[in-house]
Amino acid sequence: MTIFWLTNVRLEKGFIYENDRIVATETEICHLKIEGDKITEITNEIPNTISNQHDAHGQLLLPSLRDMHIHIDKTYYGGPWKACTPITKGIFTRLEEEKELLPKLLPTAQERAEKMIELLIKNGHTHIRTHCNVDPVIGLKNLEVTVNALKKYEDVLTYEIVAFPQHGLLKSDSVQLIRDAMKNGATLVGGVDPATVDRNIEKSLNTIFDIAVENNKGVDIHLHDPNTLGAFTFERMAYYTKESGLKGRATISHGIALGDLDGVELNEITSILKEQEMDVTTTVPINRATIPIPTLDKLGIRVSVGHDSITDHWSPFGTGNTIQKLGVLAERFRLSDEYSLTTALKYGTGGITPLNEKGKRVWPKVGDDATMMLVKATCSAEAVARRATVEALFFKGKKVESKLEDTDLVRV
Amino acid sequence: MTTSYWLTNVRLETGYIQDEKGVYETKTELFHLKIQDGKIVEKQQQSFSIPSGENTVDGKCSLAIPAFKEMHNHLDKTYLSLDWKSPTPAKNLKDRLRMEAMELEELAPTTKQRASAMIDLLLSHGSTHIRTHVNIDPYIGLKNLEGIKTALEDYSDKLTYEIVAFPQHGLLTENVIPLMKEAMRSGAQLVGGLDPAGIDRNIEKSLFEVMNLATEFDADIDIHLHDRGNVGFYTVDKLAEMVDASKWHNRVAVSHAFSLGEVPVTQQEEIAAKMSKLGMSIMSTIPITSTLPPIELLDQNGVNVYLGCDGFYDSWGPYGTGDVLEKVTRYSELYRKSDERSLAQTLKYATGGPTPLTKDGEVAWPLVGDKANLVLVNASCSAEAVARTPEREAVIFNGKVVFGKL
Repeated sequence: MTIFWLTNVRLEKGFIYENDRIVATETEICHLKIEGDKITEITNEIPNTISNQHDAHGQLLLPSLRDMHIHIDKTYYGGPWKACTPITKGIFTRLEEEKELLPKLLPTAQERAEKMIELLIKNGHTHIRTHCNVDPVIGLKNLEVTVNALKKYEDVLTYEIVAFPQHGLLKSDSVQLIRDAMKNGATLVGGVDPATVDRNIEKSLNTIFDIAVENNKGVDIHLHDPNTLGAFTFERMAYYTKESGLKGRATISHGIALGDLDGVELNEITSILKEQEMDVTTTVPINRATIPIPTLDKLGIRVSVGHDSITDHWSPFGTGNTIQKLGVLAERFRLSDEYSLTTALKYGTGGITPLNEKGKRVWPKVGDDATMMLVKATCSAEAVARRATVEALFFKGKKVESKLEDTDLVRV
Repeated sequence: MTTSYWLTNVRLETGYIQDEKGVYETKTELFHLKIQDGKIVEKQQQSFSIPSGENTVDGKCSLAIPAFKEMHNHLDKTYLSLDWKSPTPAKNLKDRLRMEAMELEELAPTTKQRASAMIDLLLSHGSTHIRTHVNIDPYIGLKNLEGIKTALEDYSDKLTYEIVAFPQHGLLTENVIPLMKEAMRSGAQLVGGLDPAGIDRNIEKSLFEVMNLATEFDADIDIHLHDRGNVGFYTVDKLAEMVDASKWHNRVAVSHAFSLGEVPVTQQEEIAAKMSKLGMSIMSTIPITSTLPPIELLDQNGVNVYLGCDGFYDSWGPYGTGDVLEKVTRYSELYRKSDERSLAQTLKYATGGPTPLTKDGEVAWPLVGDKANLVLVNASCSAEAVARTPEREAVIFNGKVVFGKL
């Protein structure tokens, strides 16, 4: 078992109040003993052993990040620049493009997926939930690529793979393919707009949940359908979650309709989702009404961010930088005081923040996995607002390093 | 500068090509640029052999794009270089102003230091022109102006700048008009203003005093206008009337101007036509929490639109980057400009006009005779630079490397 000390780590200690308002964050310099994959000691006393020390130079320690919605199987990232083509038939322009594009990208798909994983670890992620196309064009070939790429990194991160019928589960007759995908490395059943794409809400959802139950897996469905149509689909999804006994294992991705609802309607739908412990992933889009993230959080719905795309034929924008995305989230919802900025971190860490709402340190604790990152900032609020850079990343006690050959690093 | 040198191996755009499906891509080639007295005096293909004995600086195949203009900043307000501090929540604009007034004294001694940190940040992202607003108010008087002036003077070989005298706490209050006059005599170059309705509570008088100061000091105008809806629209319309009456063509800008995005399109078109005729400009910071002025419509109607980062890391807001190129990325993402030519053309909002290619693919920049103000980026073309916000390898102002290493 490897034992080392991570010394001179800045940990958040509490909030500083002025007239009952949180105005700043108090931090202290600590030293952490890491044994195997765990943190086994946290102390203010400088350890007397000089061997096996990694000096953090006063950088802030934060929980590492999770990208909860990305497509690592179809990206231009890592390859030559390519803009998007103009859209002429809405989403179907993109789907038609995939017929030609996916086979064309296949020979370099694994290399690109790996470069994307590299970008994500560089930016402090130790968990990736990727959607992976399973469709009549590419069959299970992208899945194979995705599994191979992620397997290479399983010592530095955890991952989930959603079998994603991008061309419609029913519309493109992909039911059997999804079933096969679940036996070949996919860990969640995906779906996309049961109304608009599959044109049969009940049958689409029913099939998704059937496959999930057969394989004892969870569900993560892309839902872009707006307002009442989206809300109705959420409600039916909650119904199937309950019927299938998948409470706590169903995710709504995007959930655009949540941005169209207000007041009573929003309260009603969120209480239904909450009952089934359904969660939501979002990219915090800036080009449409964003779902009301802080409100959903208050109502007890767990929201996580994801990058979706870094650059592909759907969009040329994207950074793979979750700290930056949290900054955009904060800006979008005007989270600008110390406490609000501090809480924004949880949307990127699976809910973990160093301090709880009372200002008590709840992370890191002795016995926690040593999965964490060092950032250049003096507190969480600063890290979010000013886009702190990630200086080092640890996964289960191990420092995460790039696996790319030096020659590959030239244009990543 | 009298010494000349060749900036070798820079990637420049030479046209658009269309594939068999009609999709545009950007064609680029490597060039050597001869730079002398701050200007590009020769432009040669890579195959050209540079006469021996002439100085060379290797551009390492980076893409060259025109340098950026940061057209709306508040150098005097930032906390940069001080310890982290988050803003205190304010109930409304009045409350925010009250809190700012309390803080101004405390910040005054470090104005030059803080402004310099902001200038360094802007420069590192490629801006070689800065328009900054500086508070002129009853609390701080001309103190911030002095600090900003000395800070900017130190950078006069690295960038150009304009200072706007900005009555942040109202123009029609207390002794602000005499202070503004004092500021105009003490180094401020433009007359600013703020919400004639929302703050000054007298639209006509507020605008009249702004125009009056401008004509008295033969200065341009740049007013902050956050007033929403029709009262904001009326303010722009009334300002246009005064600009016309004073013949202050090509000298007036409105910053923010959210209201222009909040009226029906026909009214947007009418005001755009008026503004275009008067040469009025719009400055936007591309907020994601507010309506934007209709940038594309304004642009198509001949109104110049510029971008800025606004003040940041200050009592008003904790987020920002000082990167005008990122503002263009954000603009493109907001308006779904995602094909090659749309991306490439939006670069003009960062540069204040020039793009390497025209919409039709004609080479427009750099041409022999152009000022050697350019940014080298790690990208294959402007479209990629706009979409991906790449690292800045170097920033060159009047032929001199002012950021980065070459």
